[in-house]
Amino acid sequence: MNFWFSVLRQTGRNLRQTWTTQFMTCLTVSLSVLIFSFFYLVYLNMLNAGDKVSDDLRLVVYLEEEPGPELQEQLRLKITQFDQVQEIKFISKAEAYSRFAEELGDNRDVLTDMPTDFLPASIEVTPLKSLRSLGQIKLFAEYLTTIPGSQKVQYGQKWVERFYYFIQLLSIVVLLSGFLLILTATFMVASTIRLTIFGRQEELELLKLVGATNNYIRTPFLLEGILLGLMGSLLGLASLYTLFQWTLRHFSGEGFLDLFTFTFFPPGIIFTIVILSIVLCTAGSYTSMQKFLRI
Amino acid sequence: MTDTTTSSRTAMIEVIKVSKSYPPNVTALADISVSIASGEIFFLIGRSGAGKTTLLKLLCNMERPSNGLIEVAGMNIHQVTGNKLAKLRQKVGVAYQDFRLLTDRTVAENIAISMEVSYKKPQIIRSRVRNLLAQLQLEDKHDILTGDLSRGEQQRVALARAVANSPTLILVDEPTGNLDATSTTQVMELLTRCSNSGATIVIATHDETLYRHSTHRVMKLHNGELASLTRGDEV
Repeated sequence: MNFWFSVLRQTGRNLRQTWTTQFMTCLTVSLSVLIFSFFYLVYLNMLNAGDKVSDDLRLVVYLEEEPGPELQEQLRLKITQFDQVQEIKFISKAEAYSRFAEELGDNRDVLTDMPTDFLPASIEVTPLKSLRSLGQIKLFAEYLTTIPGSQKVQYGQKWVERFYYFIQLLSIVVLLSGFLLILTATFMVASTIRLTIFGRQEELELLKLVGATNNYIRTPFLLEGILLGLMGSLLGLASLYTLFQWTLRHFSGEGFLDLFTFTFFPPGIIFTIVILSIVLCTAGSYTSMQKFLRI
Repeated sequence: MTDTTTSSRTAMIEVIKVSKSYPPNVTALADISVSIASGEIFFLIGRSGAGKTTLLKLLCNMERPSNGLIEVAGMNIHQVTGNKLAKLRQKVGVAYQDFRLLTDRTVAENIAISMEVSYKKPQIIRSRVRNLLAQLQLEDKHDILTGDLSRGEQQRVALARAVANSPTLILVDEPTGNLDATSTTQVMELLTRCSNSGATIVIATHDETLYRHSTHRVMKLHNGELASLTRGDEV
């Protein structure tokens, strides 16, 4: 019988003897993993959605007068003085009218008595990808209000601001739930292992007297920590995946959620969460052993 | 002339001027020196509180002496630590006065523990457990929890665990205290077989019948001091 076989037998025996406590700890760890990974998944999907939103981001500068070719060139120079942009497009009054009419579709009759130049001319500015933070966009929008003939600058400011604040709030929630995961994984496992050590004090003392090595006594406790981390994280992630699939089935189709493409964690992140849980639970087990296992 | 010194065989245990005191001012052992040969059966006798159990605890490194030196198999056991100490303990079987059995485990599991820590194969462990139980007339107790056994049965299980790993040194504290004459004979036969296989055996006892007609050496302790060291048939 080699070392690992003996140690695995010992671990199995420990788990059988204290299965209720171990099961509860496993559930607590899995719940923590579920809470953390839920918020992290929402956060990652929101970031993806944010990328998508910023791909479509345009700043529209409404002008007092429709600029001629020379003025257009001057305005183009003025805009690029702030920073390079991806695209600058001038929209004439007539073009604005025809776009509007197109958007109205079957209701375009309402425009029958309207003059074709009642909409203002505008410039559509698509900023570079590097200029996508909320602060930079705000600065750029302020700059655009100063160019000659500018009446008003619009970029869905309120919506964009709310979205960015939501992402910020979500990142705080992710951090907090990550902290909760660290607390539960380490402290709950540490507490469980401590109880196990106290419950088996007599046996551990005997093992020492009959010549068990320190590794023979300690390794089962570390394995318990590893198992709790592994089982807890897998259970938590499996629950999240089930919840994710359920959400997709019930909320896909027409509606708000259809605006975004929801994706589950890539394998790399799943692997990282599992490893992180294992490391945290093992650390909890190790601390308890260092404190309470006198061998 | 009575030969109470070790024979030409090499010494398994060397106890040199060993004392043990407990706070505040209790002397359990004072200036004990003795040499026990490899394969010898050695008896420790004396009244309760004479220091027999203390000496056994010092020999198996459960406690440290206040003064003096103890060598087992040529090693100062109180300077050995870590894996070396574990290996040494695997070679020392101890049957404790209070048995130290795991009462929520079966008889077989209790005996197997001493072999599991030295990574013996499961089939060897199973066979050895059955063999020992047969020698001690406990075959039918194989799967019984030790907590459900009588004191005499527990005592025999504790002895079986002590000898299971074929140790080179066996320390036994009051092995027959709860046993009838038949069981006592079985226990002594088992210990004699171990001795014949080369194990050194130290027995602390009150039971004169174990050594009275033997030629084994008997050390009598009195208030922690060596009172006499003679052959069993001369006590």
